[in-house]
Amino acid sequence: MRALRWLLVPLIVAPLALLLLSGFGRDPREIASPLIGRPAPAWSLVTLEGETLTADALAGRPHVVNFWASWCIPACVDEHPILAAAHERYGDALTIVGVLYQDTPSDAQRFLARPGDAGYAHLVDESGGLAIDFGVTGPPETFFVDAEGIVRGKVFGPLTDSLMAERLALILPAANR
Amino acid sequence: MIPTIGHAAVLVGLGLTVYAIVAFVLAARGGDPRLATSGRRAVIGSFGATLVACGAMVVSLLTHDFSVLYVAENNATTTPPFIGAISLWAALEGSILFWALLATGWASLVLWRHRERHRQLMPWVGATLASVNAFFFAVMTWPGNPFALTAPAAAEGLGPNALLQNHPFMALHPPLLYLGYTGLAVPFAFGVAALATRRLDTEWLRIVRRWTLVPWIFLTLGITAGAWWSYEVLGWGGYWAWDPVENAALLPWLTATAFVHSAMVAERRGGLRIWTSALVIATFVLTLVGTFLTRSGVVASVHSFTQSAIGPWFLAAIAIGLAAPLTVLVWRLPELIGGSRPAGAVSRESAFLFNNILFLGLTFAVLFGTLLPLIVGLTSGDTISVGAPWFNGITVPIFVALLFLMGVGPALPWGAARWSTVRERFTVPLVVSAAVAVIAFGLGLRAAGPLGTLALAAFVAAVMADEVVRGARGRARSRDEDPLTATWRMTTRNRRRYGGYTVHVGVLVMAVAVSISSGLAVDATVTVAPGETARIGAYEIRHERLVIEPLADDARVTETRAEISYSGPQSGSLRTAVRDYPNSPAGIATPAVRTSLGEDLYVTLLAADPDSGAVTLHLFVNPLVVWIWLGGAVVGIGSAFAIWPEPRPRHVMVEQAQAAPATASVERA
Repeated sequence: MRALRWLLVPLIVAPLALLLLSGFGRDPREIASPLIGRPAPAWSLVTLEGETLTADALAGRPHVVNFWASWCIPACVDEHPILAAAHERYGDALTIVGVLYQDTPSDAQRFLARPGDAGYAHLVDESGGLAIDFGVTGPPETFFVDAEGIVRGKVFGPLTDSLMAERLALILPAANR
Repeated sequence: MIPTIGHAAVLVGLGLTVYAIVAFVLAARGGDPRLATSGRRAVIGSFGATLVACGAMVVSLLTHDFSVLYVAENNATTTPPFIGAISLWAALEGSILFWALLATGWASLVLWRHRERHRQLMPWVGATLASVNAFFFAVMTWPGNPFALTAPAAAEGLGPNALLQNHPFMALHPPLLYLGYTGLAVPFAFGVAALATRRLDTEWLRIVRRWTLVPWIFLTLGITAGAWWSYEVLGWGGYWAWDPVENAALLPWLTATAFVHSAMVAERRGGLRIWTSALVIATFVLTLVGTFLTRSGVVASVHSFTQSAIGPWFLAAIAIGLAAPLTVLVWRLPELIGGSRPAGAVSRESAFLFNNILFLGLTFAVLFGTLLPLIVGLTSGDTISVGAPWFNGITVPIFVALLFLMGVGPALPWGAARWSTVRERFTVPLVVSAAVAVIAFGLGLRAAGPLGTLALAAFVAAVMADEVVRGARGRARSRDEDPLTATWRMTTRNRRRYGGYTVHVGVLVMAVAVSISSGLAVDATVTVAPGETARIGAYEIRHERLVIEPLADDARVTETRAEISYSGPQSGSLRTAVRDYPNSPAGIATPAVRTSLGEDLYVTLLAADPDSGAVTLHLFVNPLVVWIWLGGAVVGIGSAFAIWPEPRPRHVMVEQAQAAPATASVERA
């Protein structure tokens, strides 16, 4: 009985610590995307530079659709270098498209001027229609679409190097990884 | 330059704190007593260093130094100085810096105040407080550096948190709450010191009486101010939503309140010692758990901070902060058992015991509800949320039982109560309670919840009033004083008791106001074109016009505003608006609240059509809401009265001399 009382400490501490630990790595707001394994929604939108871009133009190439906003801080600020690095690294093998989520072009441009514009296109989704088609609940959210136009992966919340590598493996041909 | 000074100050603080831990532990283990003195100086030095760091941050914010990441993310060149200064606690890193300032401040104050006394306890108190502070310095040094730089520096920052800009309460609510949170480390430190030194008598309890009540007052006021802010800003017509961030503040408040009560029994009657020690540990750990929940992004919350790397650090701190003192507690368990004088089933001790069981039950319920999304996520992988109906259903009966005990407890004698005492004490209050219920019913109050709460509150108030009148009359007779003098002298000579009563009165006022405002509120959603009217309760609302324009003091913010006139019990005009901040996804509501002692008229703008000028409004008539804040103020005043220092030491002697016969006469009666 005397010795047994020492069990009290791990019995109280361990469950609480384990429970709180289990909270890492999952986001309480995350909902599994029903889009995974299905064709990505089609779109035709104007970029920040004023050019019209369509989903068809990306057909046959793996691409990443990243919903972001200038007011989404620090998450969108944090993940920006990861997208920029992927854009740099994969070049033509991968297309990255940013989509402004409830944001104005002028605020977005001011944002991009800060960490340095990585050079990939950003779509102005003024009506929010594309965000609705993709089922975006809040930025940042990133969708990974393969060369056949099928959504293979989604990241809810800011990208990290490991999340990026893991999801890109789902859409990039082995030779390009 | 300034950010470098700030960062250097944090590092100096860390160094001093680590030194203080070593010095205090050596002093505690029988080392040179001068080690304790130097440890104390190191802690005070760490407070100075944090003050410098906070100063550096405020200067960086005021000078818009966007080379500092925190400033770039929370400030813009257009930010007014006042908002810039209070942005110190607007986001994660800054709030930890501010937290460290208050934590080192409390530690310095305690160590300085007791520098000449309690030579066994103080080194352990210092070591514990310095260990807690070391955690915050470590967080600021590694994962949450407030002075992290960006290169190249941005030309313009992203601007302060929109919610912070929108209401001056943000200048008040976080500091009050943090003062409460950080201050609760002090009773924890004394509890650990008492366990470590085996000085398990009532010494530490007497010392921490004030050191618990002062942070408790801040926590109470902080929670009340938070509810008030939520009511005035968030625009949903309510003040408490059982959001994790609210629960995070409530949890340590519940255990601290239980501690305040159980400490009285431990001090007066020698009982509940293990319990009381466990409560200080729980209170401190819950402040960490609360901070962890709101700052790690583990639980979804309306205003939690973003997910960040500090989560694992907090988790480690919780595990150590729980395991270490718990180990000491288990070690001393054999010495803590026993020591209480026997008490009857109907006695003040048993009332206190029930009070503690109920507070603990509330704590478990709220903690369970807050953590349930995590538990479900762990077992089934589903995402769930636990809403207000669940919390209300489980906590309201416990709150009602606590209210009842609040009346019964103080009227029962220590030891054991005789049936004749019980009958004598409770007959009049029961009659008063029934009379109040009948009158309220006669005046048209039909809802069972508010009616019951009102009757219960009347019972409790009558018990206390009876007690005060009885005591004052006795004093007036025996000392030949007039009734007013007798009452004043009686209450100021036993501040703890009558301060406690005042706190209870405040709680009663809050309970009635909460019950009536939530039970009898009416609301309606209406869409009105300019010139049209709508009715809510006894009020007629007329939509005069819709205005959409930039704010006068910040052109980047667009205000969509409905200008409304109203007539009824009161009449006048009001403006309800939604403000669009450039760095906030959703508009920030600026509800119009017309407050009176009887009821609030509360109008939120839900939607506006710029072409026709028509607006959709959510109208509320919330009765008695202002009494919640007033009740909170009474709680604050009552607890301040309870801990008010005695003017001369002579009075302490008088109080003690009087306390004994007073108790005796209660037991005789």
